[in-house]
Amino acid sequence: MRMWQSAVAIVNDDNEFKGVELRKQDGSFEILWTRSSEDADADWRGFAAECDLSVEPTALEEADSDRMVVAGFNTAGTIFHRTTVPAVGDKEIESIIQLQAETRLPLPPEQIELAWRADQLRDGQMGVTIAVARKEQLQKFVGNVRCFKPIKILLNCEGIVKIWEVFFSGNKEKAVVLSTGSRNTHVCLVEEGRLSNAVVLDIGIEDFSTNVMDEQTETTERFAQDMRSVLDLFGCSNQEELPVFVLSDGSSSFVSIVSSLRLAGLNARVAAPNLKGLMAKNELSDEDIYQYRTPIGLALMALDEGTNELNIFERLYNPVQKVVKRHWLYSPKVTVAIASIMLALLAIVSYAVDITGPSSIEKRLEASVSDVDMNLLVKRQQLIKTVTRERPDLLDLLKVVNESGERGISLTSLSFKKGQPVSISGEVSSNDQLSRYEKNLQNAKGIEKVNCTANTNAKSRKITFTMTFDYKNFGRKTTKSKR
Amino acid sequence: MIEKLSKKDIRALKFGVIGAAAIILFVFGSAGHKRWTKAKANGAVLRTKLDAIDVDKARQAGLMSIVPVFEMPQVEEEQKFLFRDKLSEQLKRAGIRNKPLQVQPGRKSPQSGYKFLLVKCNATCQFMQVLDFLARLNENPYLVGIEELKIKCDPKKQGEVELDFTVSTFAL
Repeated sequence: MRMWQSAVAIVNDDNEFKGVELRKQDGSFEILWTRSSEDADADWRGFAAECDLSVEPTALEEADSDRMVVAGFNTAGTIFHRTTVPAVGDKEIESIIQLQAETRLPLPPEQIELAWRADQLRDGQMGVTIAVARKEQLQKFVGNVRCFKPIKILLNCEGIVKIWEVFFSGNKEKAVVLSTGSRNTHVCLVEEGRLSNAVVLDIGIEDFSTNVMDEQTETTERFAQDMRSVLDLFGCSNQEELPVFVLSDGSSSFVSIVSSLRLAGLNARVAAPNLKGLMAKNELSDEDIYQYRTPIGLALMALDEGTNELNIFERLYNPVQKVVKRHWLYSPKVTVAIASIMLALLAIVSYAVDITGPSSIEKRLEASVSDVDMNLLVKRQQLIKTVTRERPDLLDLLKVVNESGERGISLTSLSFKKGQPVSISGEVSSNDQLSRYEKNLQNAKGIEKVNCTANTNAKSRKITFTMTFDYKNFGRKTTKSKR
Repeated sequence: MIEKLSKKDIRALKFGVIGAAAIILFVFGSAGHKRWTKAKANGAVLRTKLDAIDVDKARQAGLMSIVPVFEMPQVEEEQKFLFRDKLSEQLKRAGIRNKPLQVQPGRKSPQSGYKFLLVKCNATCQFMQVLDFLARLNENPYLVGIEELKIKCDPKKQGEVELDFTVSTFAL
């Protein structure tokens, strides 16, 4: 897994682009720079360029550098929903959640995108946080941020929860965190240190800062009323006990927000920045930290490898992954080049062997025998082979003929001629003797196709016979074939 | 200077270089290929010759048992004389008194480039003499093979046989 040195987070918070670069070093964090743009005409591309991020389509510098870039998505248009599912596998949970989303949401499934995150199993049930948004809205956002190729798109409210935990003395208890902007307020329910529900209220610091007393009273009441509704929506039964943390830059406006909530019976308290473990190149005040709370929170999330964020953009945005530099040996070009060299070498070696081989053999032969001698040797050898095929071993034939017969058989003639069967004739005293002789010849090595004709001499009672048989391959018409 | 060239020019230059390399390769390659082919053919001829000469020991021993001595064929007249002379000597050595040997042209030669000559012989002799003759016949360096052999016994004349045989030789 890749180790990132720093993270750049860019958000559009309170109609203002904000960006920070955060570096993690030895367990502490350092803010390398912060940047904001109040220009009404500013867009994501322009602000990313201001933050020295590459926005050219062909540029790969960011992907190649050691810093990652993340973009924050404002969750104003996102609906969060909490549900419980039985302890089943991820695929089953996915199906259950899809079904719930289809039944509960007013939009058809093809128009929405959802992300879910399961909590730990408790009493056989599993709490699941679902975030749902319109696909069109998300696609539009992706179109805006694609130019600077963020590695992730994170939800702003998750960044708020993260910074509360890290730099506003947050804890793992169930709590509500309020992040108040100039015109809106993010209300985040935190369970086990993770966002489990969120709502954006359209009341901000500006509404509390009015000097008109009546208006302020009305705002305070409306805010308290909204908060109670939100807590009801979150399913919080013990609203008086549930801690409500109001992120603060230390100004009096936040004290009045907390007071109004306390008056409404809520367990509200101010959460001021605790900058232990946070460094900055330039001196940063609580106001600065508060102003950049969302991008810092997102950068913290990006640097935290164990974060299991709600990725609502999973199917819509595939970030540009850094091309892992492989060893040059794996390069197809190098492989092709090596293969070509090997082929060329093979051809050269074959060529050299074929060119020099015969000449070296000739030289060695010339040294031992002349060319005439060589040809003579070849001819002689060929002739000897031919003669071998032409020369029958007639002594062997006589021996076989003799050994196959028993006493009492007298042979009168033997005739051998190449291309014809061998013929023998003689006399025997009985048919049994003759048949045994015939059988023995048939079984003798080199003898085949034994035929016998016999006549009995009436006077002498002797049987005269003539036998023919093939001896090896000499009985065949041609004797050229090899034995 | 190369900076002034457009991408199109550079591409054209690349094609030019590749074309030139291909032409050079073709010219030298075809000459080399011819030389290679010739060398391979020479090598194949040499290998065939070597294969013909270089016979393994067992096979050579087999050949030697059938053809223990061999002389290369001479021109027809000389070969006739040599073969007949040697054959007469072998018959004499076996004690066979034969009728005059008859030389005649044989069937188609089993070895191209050589004539095939036959020598016929008739004799009356003892069977043991026949065996002795046959046992030593392979020592004739001009002999190719025995084409025909007839042995006829007369039961009235104990051990005497009539022998007719035809042997062959090669000649140039």
